[in-house]
Amino acid sequence: MDRKKISKTDLSRWLDRIAETCDLIGPVKEEEVVQFRPVRSSAELTLDYANSLLPPKSLFFPPVEELFSYQKRGEEIKLEQTKPLEKDRVVVGIRKCDVESLSLLDRVFLEDLEDVSYKDRRDRTALIALACPTPPRSSCFCTSFGIDPLSPEGSDILLTDVGKDYLVDVATEKGRELVALADDLFTKLTDKKAKELQPPPVDMPELDLSELREKLEGLWEDDYWEKLSLPCLGCGICTYVCPTCHCFDIADVGSTSDGVRYRCWDSCMYKDFALMTSGVNPRPTKRERVRNRYFHKFSTFPSRYGTNYACVGCARCLVHCPGGVEITTVMEDILAKEGASDG
Amino acid sequence: MQDELREIVRKLLADGAIEYFIGYCQGSEPHRVFPCFVTEESEVEKLVLGPLCLQNLSKYVLQARDLGGKVGVLVKGCDTRAVVELIKQHQLERDKVVVVGVPCQGQVDPRKLEQALGVPLERVTGVEDAGDEFTVTVDGKARKVGKEQVLRDKCFFCKHPMSFEYDYTLGDVVPFIIDAEKSEYAAVEALEELPVEERRAFWRKQFERCIRCNACREACYGCYCTECLFDRKVPRWLDRPPLPEENEIYHLIRAVHLAGRCIDCGECERVCPVRIPLSRLYKKVQKDIAELFGYEAGMELDTVPPLVNFDLDDQDPFM
Amino acid sequence: MTDNIYLPSMATVKEVRPETPDTSTFVVTFDDPTLRESFTYRPGQFAEMSMFGVGECPIGIASSPTSKGFLEFCVRAVGTVTNAIHDLEVGDKVGVRGPLGNSWPTKEIEGRDLLFVGGGIGLPPLRSLIRYVLDNRDRYGAVEIVYGARSPQDLVYKDELKEWDERPDVEFYVTVDVGDETWDGPVGFVPPFLKEINPSPENKVAFTCGPPIMIKLVVNALEEMGYADADIVTTLEMKMKCGVGKCGRCNIGDKYICRDGPVFSFEQLRKIPGALEV
Repeated sequence: MDRKKISKTDLSRWLDRIAETCDLIGPVKEEEVVQFRPVRSSAELTLDYANSLLPPKSLFFPPVEELFSYQKRGEEIKLEQTKPLEKDRVVVGIRKCDVESLSLLDRVFLEDLEDVSYKDRRDRTALIALACPTPPRSSCFCTSFGIDPLSPEGSDILLTDVGKDYLVDVATEKGRELVALADDLFTKLTDKKAKELQPPPVDMPELDLSELREKLEGLWEDDYWEKLSLPCLGCGICTYVCPTCHCFDIADVGSTSDGVRYRCWDSCMYKDFALMTSGVNPRPTKRERVRNRYFHKFSTFPSRYGTNYACVGCARCLVHCPGGVEITTVMEDILAKEGASDG
Repeated sequence: MQDELREIVRKLLADGAIEYFIGYCQGSEPHRVFPCFVTEESEVEKLVLGPLCLQNLSKYVLQARDLGGKVGVLVKGCDTRAVVELIKQHQLERDKVVVVGVPCQGQVDPRKLEQALGVPLERVTGVEDAGDEFTVTVDGKARKVGKEQVLRDKCFFCKHPMSFEYDYTLGDVVPFIIDAEKSEYAAVEALEELPVEERRAFWRKQFERCIRCNACREACYGCYCTECLFDRKVPRWLDRPPLPEENEIYHLIRAVHLAGRCIDCGECERVCPVRIPLSRLYKKVQKDIAELFGYEAGMELDTVPPLVNFDLDDQDPFM
Repeated sequence: MTDNIYLPSMATVKEVRPETPDTSTFVVTFDDPTLRESFTYRPGQFAEMSMFGVGECPIGIASSPTSKGFLEFCVRAVGTVTNAIHDLEVGDKVGVRGPLGNSWPTKEIEGRDLLFVGGGIGLPPLRSLIRYVLDNRDRYGAVEIVYGARSPQDLVYKDELKEWDERPDVEFYVTVDVGDETWDGPVGFVPPFLKEINPSPENKVAFTCGPPIMIKLVVNALEEMGYADADIVTTLEMKMKCGVGKCGRCNIGDKYICRDGPVFSFEQLRKIPGALEV
C-alpha cells in the first residue's frame, strides 16, 4: 500500500492543480446544506462535513438525464444520442458508504446489458474518498454491513484527516496519476510512520445481520408491514436520498416532431409506480410498497446480484423520513422475530 | 400532561371507542419524535408530548376513513386547523374522529437548535418547555436556550396555542406570547418589493434544486386528491423529469391549488429534502386570500372557504 | 439492439390490419437494411415500441422468427402510447427497441404434445410460438389450440383461426362469452370450455395467456386435470419502462419480468412470494 501524507494547505494546491486538467467535484455548502457540486477551485469546497444531502450516486445516475433527442424531418425521424460527459472528472470528499453504494449500483447498471452513460461516468471519474471523523454520527451504521470507513477499497485514493495533515492512501493506477500531478506536495511515509498516524478503527454500534435475510423472507405474509406502513406518507424521500436506490422513469418531453427522451429518478413508494394501464396494481397499498422496499434491500437485491445487503448504513433515509420510519428499527424488529427454524 | 394523555388514550382503547390513536412517540434517538399509531393499551406508554412534536398528524386521519370505527388523533392548536378544514372540505366526518387537543407553548426548529447549541443534534437528549425558554439537555447537562433563538418560524405568529375543536383537552391554556418583532408576512413583503424579474430569478434558483420527490405534496393535509393533477397522463399537464421549468409549474400550481386551504402548518418546508423555502411561497397565497377575502383557513367550522363561494361584494382587483 | 440499450431503431409501418374494434396488427420493417436482414428474436420475446413525444410501450412480438424481414405487433388501444400507435398509417415511422425478455422454451418442448389456451388479447403472444411450431411442424407432437374471446367481434386473427381450424395436424377449439347472429359455434367462458374438452396431460405442455382471472381459472382446471406446474407455462404482464432490468419497476420477488420473464412456468411462479397475487 502506497502511503503518503499531505498538509492541509498543500491539499488545496493539489486539488486546484487537478481542477486545471479535469472537472473537480466535491462537497459544497449551500445555505447549511452540503451537496456535491462541480467547483473551479478548492476554496469552494467544504471538507468539514458529515455527509451530503443527496448521495453522490447523483453524479453517476443523475436525477434527470438526457438519453437522446429526436427530430422529425419530413418523413424521417432523426435520433441523436446525448454524450454523458464532456471531460474526465475527479470527485473528492466522498464517504466510504457512498463509495460502497457505487459498487452495488455497478451490478445493476454494468452487468447483463450495459448502461453506456453510467459506464462512461464511472470509467471517467476518479474517486478521492474522505475517511469519516471519529466519533461517527450516532445515526451511522455502515460497519453492520462490513464496511470499513477507513479503508480505501473501492476508491482511487483515501484521505484521512490526522490533524495538520491528511494521510493519503493511493489504491489504484488512476490514483497514482492524480498524485503525480503534484508529486512535490506529498511526503512518502514509512509503514511505521503511517501506522503511527493511522487513527484507530471506527467504533460504532453494530448489528449482527447474519440472520436478517432468512428471517425477513419468512415474514412475507406477516402483519408487521401493515403496522409499519401506517406512518409512511408515500412521499418517496427515502428512495431519493438513498445511495443504492436505482429506480427510474423514462419520459419524452416535447412534441411528436421535436423533443428529448429523458431518464429521471422514480420511486417504488409511489402508488402509481407499478400501476398498469389496465388498472391492475401489483402493489396497491402502502403495505405492499413498504414491504417491497425492505425486501428489495435485504432479500431480492442480494439474491439477484449475489451481494451483501443493498444498504450501506448512511442513515439518510432514517434522518429524512417525515413519518419516522427508521430502517435500523425495522432491521432490529425483523431480527427479533421468531425465525422459521424456531417455529 | 403526558400522563393525562395516556390515561385518555388507554380509556378510549379499552372502551373500544377508537380503532387506534395517532400520537407522537420517541424514535431511535431522543431528538427524534415521530408519529405513532397506538392500537393496544400496552403501547400507550410510548406516547410522548413535548416541543419536538413537530408533525401535523391530521393527514393520517384520512387513511383511516375506510375503517369501520373511529380513530383518535392528537392535535396542537395549529394542527386543529387541518381537522377543521378537512371537515369543511367534506373529506372527514366530525364523528369519525376523536380529537385530543394539547396546548402548545412553541415548537423547536431542530436546525435552529443545532446552530444555537453549536453541537450536533444527536447529543441532545431532552428538550422541555420552560416558559420563555427551553431546557435542553446536552450530553447529560441541562442548558437554557431562549425561545426566540430556536422557535419554529410559524410559532412566532401563533394564533392558537390551544386546539379549538376537540373532544378532550389536556391541561389549562397558558397564553403563549412572544414578540416576533416583525409581521408574519415580512419575508413575503421583502420579496414583493423586488421587481418581477428578481422575484422570478429567486424562485427559479430555488426550484432548480427541486428533485420532484413530491414529499411536499404527500406531507400536505390539503393534497388528498385520489389522482393528483400532476400524475395524470391524459391530459398530461406536467412531464416527469425534474427540469427547472417543469418544477416551477409544479410549485406554482400547487400553491394556487392550496389557496384558501393552506393552514400554514409548514410541513411542506420541513420535509423538503433540498430545503426549498416553500413557506415563503405559501405565505404569499395566504396573504392574498386574507387581503381579498378576509379569510384564514381552518379557523372556524362554519365559514365557507372563499374559493368555493361567491359574494356580490367580492373584490375583483383584476377587472 | 443498438449499443445504447435505450436507443430504439427506426422502423416503418408496412401494413395495418384491424383485428377487433380496439385492436390492430401493425407490420413493421426496420429502415436499416442490415438490421432488417440480421435482426433475430425468439418466440415470446417483446419489444418496446417508441412513439416519440408520447412514450414507449412493451408489446409482444406476435410474428415468428421463421418469417423474415418484418415484425408483427398486435396492439390494443388502451393508454396514451397505444392510442398513438393506433394513429399510425402505412409509411409512418415508429421506434422499436428489442428483442427483450426471455422466450418460450422452444427447445425443451420438442417431441412433446402442445396445448395452447388463449383468451382475448392473450392470443398474440401465444401466436408467435404457434406459428413457430407450425413452421417446424415435424419437431413437435400433437397441437391443440383452445381460444376464446368476449364476443365474435373480439376474436383476433380471425383469418388465421380459420386456417388452424382447417389444418389436419391441429385440433382447434374456439368459444365466445356471448354469441351473436353470425355465430353458430360454442358459447361459454374458456375455463369451463377447456374442462369439457378435457385434453390429456400425457406428455403434454400447456401454454396459456389471457386476462388474469382467466389464467387463474385455466390453471386451476389444468391442475385438476393432472397437469404438473412445470408443464404449465405462461407469459406475464407488468408495467415496464426500461425493458432491460434496471429501472426496478417490473419486479416480482428477485425476478424482473422484462429480463427473467415474461415467460415463466407455474413451478417457477409458485416459488416467488407475491407472484401469484399479480
